[in-house]
Amino acid sequence: MKFLSKILKSVKPKFDEGGRLERLYPVFEATETIFFSTDEQTSKGPHIRDSVDIKRVMILVVIALIPCYLFGAINIGYLNAQALGISRGWVENFLFGMKQISPLIIVTFASGAFWELLFPVIRKHEVTESFLVTCALIPLVMPPELPLWMVAVGTSFGVVLGKEVFGGTGMNIFNPALTARAFVYFAYPVAMSGDKVWAIGPDGYSGATALSIPAAATNADSVALLSAFTQFDYSWWNMFVGFIPGSVGETSKIMILLGAGLLLITKIASWRTMVGAVLGLLGTAALFNLLSPYSSNSMLTIPPHYHLVMGGFLFGTVFMATEPVTGAHTDRGRWIYGIMIGFLTVVIRSINPAYPEGVMLAILLMNAFAPVIDYFVVKGNIKRRKARYAQ
Amino acid sequence: MASITIKKGHNIKIAGTPKRQIEEHSSLSTVAVHPSSFRYVKPKLMVKEGEKIGLGEPLFFDKLMPEVKWPSPGGGTLQEIRYGPRRVVEKVTVALDSEEETMAEKTYGADEIFGLGRDEVKKRLITSNLFPFIRRRPFGKVANPEETPRDIFVSAVNTAPLSPDLELILKEQMVQFQAGLDALSRMTDGSLHVTVGKGPSAFQELKNCKLHTVAGPHPAGNVGIQIHHVAPIAPNDVVWTVDAQHVCIIGRNFLTGKLDPSLIVTVGGPGTVNGSHFHSRLGASIQTLVKDRLNGSENRIVSGDVLTGRSSSEEGHLGFYSDCVSVVPKSEKRSFLGMIHPGSPKTHYSLTNAYLGRRMSDFGFTTLNNGSERPLVPIGSWEAVLPMDILPNELYRAVVAEDIDLMEKLGILECVEEDLALCSFACPSKVDVGGMIRQGLDLIWADSA
Repeated sequence: MKFLSKILKSVKPKFDEGGRLERLYPVFEATETIFFSTDEQTSKGPHIRDSVDIKRVMILVVIALIPCYLFGAINIGYLNAQALGISRGWVENFLFGMKQISPLIIVTFASGAFWELLFPVIRKHEVTESFLVTCALIPLVMPPELPLWMVAVGTSFGVVLGKEVFGGTGMNIFNPALTARAFVYFAYPVAMSGDKVWAIGPDGYSGATALSIPAAATNADSVALLSAFTQFDYSWWNMFVGFIPGSVGETSKIMILLGAGLLLITKIASWRTMVGAVLGLLGTAALFNLLSPYSSNSMLTIPPHYHLVMGGFLFGTVFMATEPVTGAHTDRGRWIYGIMIGFLTVVIRSINPAYPEGVMLAILLMNAFAPVIDYFVVKGNIKRRKARYAQ
Repeated sequence: MASITIKKGHNIKIAGTPKRQIEEHSSLSTVAVHPSSFRYVKPKLMVKEGEKIGLGEPLFFDKLMPEVKWPSPGGGTLQEIRYGPRRVVEKVTVALDSEEETMAEKTYGADEIFGLGRDEVKKRLITSNLFPFIRRRPFGKVANPEETPRDIFVSAVNTAPLSPDLELILKEQMVQFQAGLDALSRMTDGSLHVTVGKGPSAFQELKNCKLHTVAGPHPAGNVGIQIHHVAPIAPNDVVWTVDAQHVCIIGRNFLTGKLDPSLIVTVGGPGTVNGSHFHSRLGASIQTLVKDRLNGSENRIVSGDVLTGRSSSEEGHLGFYSDCVSVVPKSEKRSFLGMIHPGSPKTHYSLTNAYLGRRMSDFGFTTLNNGSERPLVPIGSWEAVLPMDILPNELYRAVVAEDIDLMEKLGILECVEEDLALCSFACPSKVDVGGMIRQGLDLIWADSA
């Protein structure tokens, strides 16, 4: 530790003003503050400050994602063993999964860090830590066998066009991780949709996801279809636990709830957005259940509590909808924003036959509308304040 | 009579709470006033270095409001006039005589004051140089005698960290406090609002004013928060505010005919030992106050509370509106892997529970910023500590955009920086929210002038 501090001190002059590597100062600063917290002092204004900073906030989100990674790895191994018809222990399953997702993680962080360091160097500001979260999220929302070059292209697209072109952290309109996913989804649909990509098996191995089963049938009861399906166990309980095909981190709702708990205790994520989204989803699904007798669409028959554990809804709600910059900024706005995400998720899932999963598009769409929601909340605030003056 | 309960806010658990008793400190040799610290005022000195000055006699006046003059907080010789950049007068120091000469005026009986007319009270406040004790909102600047305020507000509750306990102080001075209130109540056609803490207290006997109660964490004691809950400031409204201890100074002036600048001042903070309340006075020398009470040598001495005070030094003096000296140790400690280190409630203080430990005892804050400034990531930490129907995030953005119309609509005229100081404390992006609000106010002031 002292040794490290010595090294950093000895190379610092090179990066200071007038030094040979002056332009790379942001890179040095970022490296230094990863190892040692900053010794910056308060100036005027509050002479004391709370211990929480953006580094801490971001790293806590990354910590909240770790359970999803661990379970994701086990699940990849588990599904692979099932596809091959062999039996493996937990540790072997985990190691198999880690072997699959480690390259994903490395490629994501490498390409993300490249852009994230390049922009501050050019723009001459400090490196912001939010790319840690973006890069930690991207592998979790991708299929486990996605070609690595696609991961790199998608990450680059998400970081550069989803964030940096708007001015970087705090200024972006769309969630960078979701932008990356949307890009890969629309650019390389074969690698990102269908029945073949969600579980690693022998060549040509295919397994329908829970959402695509009722989507493919008409005039049927979705729960009956799911329980009749034998390849995977699509009971509510198993979908909640998470041994089902899907993106790396989205399958286990238990792990997602663990992460949600951490984010809520530390007050980093907005509970209003989370609760709003869940209520919006449950309400819309219940409404569609009532309408289902009048339609041949089997998606309408999915009960609300099934919607909750199918697909990536919970993962999106907990880790992506709550992203504070791209969501609504006002408390009232966060309710509306959350409810609309829940509503749109069910609408896209049920009514749009092309996309059986809706949460990604629902969040991106609401990212675009969040400023509008805030605009009306602000207007309401101005009106309310005016009314108080009149008294 | 309103009963206000504040839920949003936070009482910072900072070590070095001043003892709840009033002690004497060694005798003062100098006092000072800082003319450049008054906002939107153009000070013009009325004295020269080396001259004799009596307690209460004018030191300087405001070129924009020539009737408003600042009283000398002590009688003696003018020791130093310190100029800053561009010849602004930074500080006027008076070396006290052992027998201070004092300017004397007419005295009033305690029951006479409420019977005085508005003009009579106003004239007296001007001739006794008491106007600088009155501040007006919007803008939080010294009041203009030409204006008639809609209401006058006095907060008799302090919730700021390490600040004096007003109930302890005022219960000894109820006669003077009442006299000051009587005088002030003549200055408005509206009401004189006094906010006190909940529960039985000596304040219940106060008359000729509207009594309100407030309960809850800081900033519940801030007069701006109380105004917002009692009768918010509409565009074009002017309200005046006076600190409770200054009300007593005004009261004593009416009762005795003399300026008595006595002030109870606290000394506290993690850098002190034996912090307490002290009998002191306006603009007192900090050296006298902190003598033998500093813990360690590397400290930042703040005139005022840790959230809104000004950095000073041992050689400095109390600010005109300060009644507290806070001492915070300097630290340059860089913790290894600080961002991932789980830490403990002993080493990290977090309002958002990010360090996952409930803090029970007082925390030894330092001057560490605990992070670098970053773009805003609105996780709701500002809203959690601002008990006003104001959207801080949107207001901040309006100030950044220099959109005066939107700032006013969002309520900037109701705020001064102290009301949002806790937002800066809590902000994970380390943004100075209060300072930004002041920038917005400066912009509006420049625009209207």
